[in-house]
Amino acid sequence: MMGWRRRLAAGALFLLTLAATPVLADDRALSELLAPLCAGASAERVAAVDRLLDAVETGAAEPAWALRALEAVGGRRLVCAEGGVFITSGTGVIDAVTSAPGLADAVKAQGAFVDLRLRPYLDMGSAVLRLLASPGGPASGAALGELQKRAKIVPPGLIERAAAEPANAALAPGLRDVMAVAALNDPDPALRIAAIGRLAEAPSERNRTLLRDLSGDAALTSDPVVAAALADGITRIERWLTLGQVAASVYSGLSYASILFVAALGLAVIFGLMGVINLAQGELIMIGAYATFLVQEALKSVLPGLVDYYLLLAIPFAFAASGAVGIAMEVTVIRHLYRRPLMTLLATWAISLLLINLVRVTFGTQNLQFNVPPFLNGGTHVFADFIVTWNRLFAIGFALAVLAAALVVLRRTSLGMYIRAVTENRDMAGCVGVSARRIDLTAFGIGSGLAGVAGLALSPIYTVNPAMGVNFIVDAFMVVVLGGVGSIAGTAAAALGVGMINVTIEPMFGAVAAKVIVLLLIIVFIQFRPEGLFAVKGRR
Amino acid sequence: MDRRDFLKNSAALGAALAAPAIITSRAKAADSLKLGCLFSSSGTMANIEGRMNAVVQMAAAELNAKGGVLGKQVEVLVTDPSSDWPLYAQLGRQLLLQDKCSALFGCWTSVSRKSVLPVVEQNNGLLYYPLHFEGEENSKNVVYLNSPPASSVLPALDYLMGPEGGDAKRFYMLGSDYVWPRTINKICKGYWQSKGFSESAWREQYVPLGFSNFQTIVNDIRKFASEPGGQPIIVLTTVGSSIPDFFKEIINQGIGATDIPVLGLDVLEADLEGLDTAPMVGHLNCWAYLQNAVAPANDAFKANWKGFVEKSNLAYSPTTVIDPMVSAYDGVHMWAKAVEKAGMADPDAVRAASAGISFDCPSGYTIKMTGENNYVSRGVFIGSVNDKQAFDILWQSKDTPTPVPFSPYA
Repeated sequence: MMGWRRRLAAGALFLLTLAATPVLADDRALSELLAPLCAGASAERVAAVDRLLDAVETGAAEPAWALRALEAVGGRRLVCAEGGVFITSGTGVIDAVTSAPGLADAVKAQGAFVDLRLRPYLDMGSAVLRLLASPGGPASGAALGELQKRAKIVPPGLIERAAAEPANAALAPGLRDVMAVAALNDPDPALRIAAIGRLAEAPSERNRTLLRDLSGDAALTSDPVVAAALADGITRIERWLTLGQVAASVYSGLSYASILFVAALGLAVIFGLMGVINLAQGELIMIGAYATFLVQEALKSVLPGLVDYYLLLAIPFAFAASGAVGIAMEVTVIRHLYRRPLMTLLATWAISLLLINLVRVTFGTQNLQFNVPPFLNGGTHVFADFIVTWNRLFAIGFALAVLAAALVVLRRTSLGMYIRAVTENRDMAGCVGVSARRIDLTAFGIGSGLAGVAGLALSPIYTVNPAMGVNFIVDAFMVVVLGGVGSIAGTAAAALGVGMINVTIEPMFGAVAAKVIVLLLIIVFIQFRPEGLFAVKGRR
Repeated sequence: MDRRDFLKNSAALGAALAAPAIITSRAKAADSLKLGCLFSSSGTMANIEGRMNAVVQMAAAELNAKGGVLGKQVEVLVTDPSSDWPLYAQLGRQLLLQDKCSALFGCWTSVSRKSVLPVVEQNNGLLYYPLHFEGEENSKNVVYLNSPPASSVLPALDYLMGPEGGDAKRFYMLGSDYVWPRTINKICKGYWQSKGFSESAWREQYVPLGFSNFQTIVNDIRKFASEPGGQPIIVLTTVGSSIPDFFKEIINQGIGATDIPVLGLDVLEADLEGLDTAPMVGHLNCWAYLQNAVAPANDAFKANWKGFVEKSNLAYSPTTVIDPMVSAYDGVHMWAKAVEKAGMADPDAVRAASAGISFDCPSGYTIKMTGENNYVSRGVFIGSVNDKQAFDILWQSKDTPTPVPFSPYA
């Protein structure tokens, strides 16, 4: 009995060893691939990335496995220690080669620092491996963008393999662009011309520079066919680039205009319609931004699922918070000063200081952290270096929506009619039974609420802190005065004008000069047309 | 309540609110040494300058706990110049002449320092200035606690122009429009010229203070970056809220540190508060102290600050400490050592006693006042943004280089 058991055990051991030996050899090879990534001079680590990618290309390593290792290097989580290479994470430690759990105590260290020389290789490697490990996956668009940026260092073999994956079909044209960069230096002129053609079809500054670099190469341009293709390619790219620049300028202008408009709209109601010089307008914007922040924090703790939509959910709160502060201001201070503009000016300035300091005492002076929802992060590449950033598109859309809402309220509702009546002739409106006092209060509340909503719209773009309002007050007054006191449409037109002129001048003379020139233009304009762009006829 | 009553009541209320502040700052005036603080707690600089008052108070409290200086308690008088440059001079004069402060600690921007400079020179005061700055100044009435460009900016540029930093060949300088960025950029240009770069290798752009609409400028940067000529970098010298606003825009336009690294000369841990720094990983800064410096003195300093903020219930982050805070803290201790050595707090005596005074800075270096001028030898750090709203230490100097106030490249 004892005999066969022992024999069985020995046989099993032999089988185990037989099965394990090649694995161990493989493991050693894989471990040797990873070890130089742990630490050392960045040139050596770059070479190690190349070797790892080669191993994937020859089939010696799995893409998913290599991807995990590269991502760990990038996150400083790959650690070489006694007994192997380990990947650390918040939850524990695993062996980088076998994925077996490692000794958590053994590896407490942080991986080596990733410098600017190594990082592009890591990013490029992760991108191409991601396309191979999970073709057509959610991150594949970003991976393609990464590869296009680093076209000069990509391994062509792996790109071809990624392009051949059926699930990557949507990315195939982009991947062919990446391969074209490598083919630019191909000895075969036909392939070169094809590559030049591909690059010319994807116009960008980067590709123009690539082609220009090529046209400096005398050995190449001696072939008239290649030279002609090159010249043609560069002209085509340049045509698109000019278009892209115009589109980018228009977009920047629109986005700046939308910011100016949103910031000025509340003032257009308060100063334009009611004639109150409210220097606390910027602080009402700030309060709106803080209300938005509070809504975000509340959602985080109560309904974490909805936190991405806080910008929309916070609209009524931002409006109400600033509106309430505005109404309180009107009732306690401004109502007593309607016939004394100079006193209003001083009083509202004092209120603005009070509000800044109240917020500072309550929240502190630091910048607030907004979790910008994923759909407002980043942007999309439209064509030829023209990028549409989502947060600015949101601001533009928001400005249009607020403009529409304000126009509907003022033109189509009875409240709007009363406000316009009081604006045009206060005494007459009173005679026909409109309570001017109540309308004043409502209009002031609406104007303040709009400022609050502006704070919400600006929070994804600007830094939110107690002093942020100061930045907006001068621009807001400028736009309202230029647009014509009392006209919402005029405010919109003025914002558009100032925004467009600003972004046109800025690249030519710099941001400082642009500001001066715009102010000078406005002064000259007001000289000739003191009533602004759109003047409302009325008796005050 | 009619308007007059209202005004009367609010005036009374205001006075009542303000009173305790006045009373506490004047109460124990009897036999104490006074330090005056010139840091804004309102306006565009409030977010970063505000905490400087607190750190000076913290250092003074440490001195007082050990029995004060020359047996006298150290009292800190705090003012608010509200980011208004001429107001720094006015409040500085008031602190020197009316409050008889032994030394002033203050100023962040160079323009505010330049505004206080004539005041301390006329009245023979001492101003301890905690920021790294453009150099080109050597007043006997200012103690320059932080590094001039030769021991901060130029090592960082060298790093970026070396193989480890990505072989930078082209430079986009973006700054706020005042003396510090313009002088720094002038020195940078001189430095690049001395390294054989031609003028086409750089572009210079200035924005007004408080500027935040960086869209067109970032478009211009992308254009500059894709032109031929080698790896571009951005040398960023904007200040205040222009820093986070600029970073937001480049992140949204998809520019990362591997595309165009940003060397943010005024970027501090405090500027990263409120930003998601994951897309910013790899951007650089250079200071004489970074929060992640490995040193026992640093652990103690960070613990002290945390305790101080929590005990006094201040509105600053208890876990964020920045270079100028550490510099001001060093400054208070070095002042105290000089006063002890001189046996009196008279500015001339303190200046004479200052030469050679050293202090174990939280950065891990033993920093030392130079004998020949009022500069302090500090260590040099180059930091790289990590995803935890702080900086990893990329490189740090072996020892403390001797500061060179006047740059040969300016």
